Amino acid sequence: MKIIVDLNLCQDHGQCAIAAPAVFRMTDEGKLEYEEIADEARRAEVEEAADVCPVQAILIEG
Amino acid sequence: MTIASQLDHPTVPSFDVTDPGFSITSDEVHAARERSWYATTNYGIAVLRYDEVSRLLKHPKLRQGSVQWPAHNGVTEGPFAQWWASWILNKEGEEHHRLRRLMNPAFSPKLIGGLVPRFQALAAELVDAFERPGHCEFMGEFAEPYAARVIAIMLGLPEDEWPIIAREATNIGLAMGVTIQSELPTIEGALERLYAYADALIEDRRANPGDDFVSALVQASRDSDTLSDRELRDGLVLLIFGGYDTTRNQLGLAMQSFMNHPDQWRLLAERPELGGKAVEEVMRVNPTVRWVTREALEDFTFEGLDIAAGTTVHLFSESAGTDPRVFGEPSFDLTADRKPHFGFGGGAHHCLGHFVARSDMSEALPLLARRLRDPRPAGGSTWLPDSGNTGPMTLPIDFTPGA
Repeated sequence: MKIIVDLNLCQDHGQCAIAAPAVFRMTDEGKLEYEEIADEARRAEVEEAADVCPVQAILIEG
Repeated sequence: MTIASQLDHPTVPSFDVTDPGFSITSDEVHAARERSWYATTNYGIAVLRYDEVSRLLKHPKLRQGSVQWPAHNGVTEGPFAQWWASWILNKEGEEHHRLRRLMNPAFSPKLIGGLVPRFQALAAELVDAFERPGHCEFMGEFAEPYAARVIAIMLGLPEDEWPIIAREATNIGLAMGVTIQSELPTIEGALERLYAYADALIEDRRANPGDDFVSALVQASRDSDTLSDRELRDGLVLLIFGGYDTTRNQLGLAMQSFMNHPDQWRLLAERPELGGKAVEEVMRVNPTVRWVTREALEDFTFEGLDIAAGTTVHLFSESAGTDPRVFGEPSFDLTADRKPHFGFGGGAHHCLGHFVARSDMSEALPLLARRLRDPRPAGGSTWLPDSGNTGPMTLPIDFTPGA
């Protein structure tokens, strides 16, 4: 599954890193880092991360 | 450079935010913003510009800043102190993240979307019920029943019990003022009554789960972890308290902003699809949450300023939302593309209920614009102080009835 974050929309709130910490994380400077390809086993939490993003910046492909 | 050594520095402004006459949206604050990105206050610092507010809102060295509020005012034990300590807002780190993971899905746009037709019907019903044509007390006749009945709809409570929700949420709100200690019996009485509501709801949805919001919370699970009855009850009462007053006040502030910009109100009546943009534009220039509070977890340096552990940092939402560096000349325009405002806070503690608030207000405002044409102040409005959480207490208005 491919993950695309619209970094023009992303405000680094970090709700995705709370929902799916294995895929999204916040750096010590408070910036988002994420895996562009995630294991299918993580689908439920990645979908949850996309769902709870306050600015709806996360798109899942495949 | 430390905050103390800056106190006498001529370029750093200083505000007495405890002065009842202090206005957080005043020319004084806006002028200070042009001189300095921050000001010193009685509590610590106030942050005035968009970029610095945006970064500090999510800064890893800052925690949410209200955890000590009851203790600072002499309330250290009893039901209220325990409830306050239970708030997801007052937790940090993994303890916070666990609660947020369990609660977030119930507040997702998927679940909220189904309620939109009921929000529309509710707004229309309230306007139909105004006692006099062409006049209303906007807070008592619209903002209060709307905010309270939205919560009743979400929780599946009988909507005609909305005055109880409104009254008890307002009573708990007394805890946000400096008279918290003397008001404690009233506050804890309200807490007890709302706990009873929450307990009954939890028991009912455990026995009869449906596809509603409370059932989603009751059934929420993650890696076989679930919310306990205690956590559910504390969370539901926080939702009632947090959801009511903010929505009520924000609707009143929206009416104030649009009365100052009648062309934009007419535009909203013609183009109801701008409801969402209307909410964002109002919350940018006239947010009910006038400051978002943070507290430094440890010593750190930001933009050359040393901030000591324990310093209170107030992020001024309206000052940031009208920062000319980002938004140019002052304007109120539903068709403009804007950067995000800070009316829902941000970071790990970003408002949990923002999809609900955005959805219910974006339905209410276009309907009001159509039905309440050319609204103007009827005189006699009363206001909360312009700091912390603000809004009208009463807002009598005249208007031309529309279809």
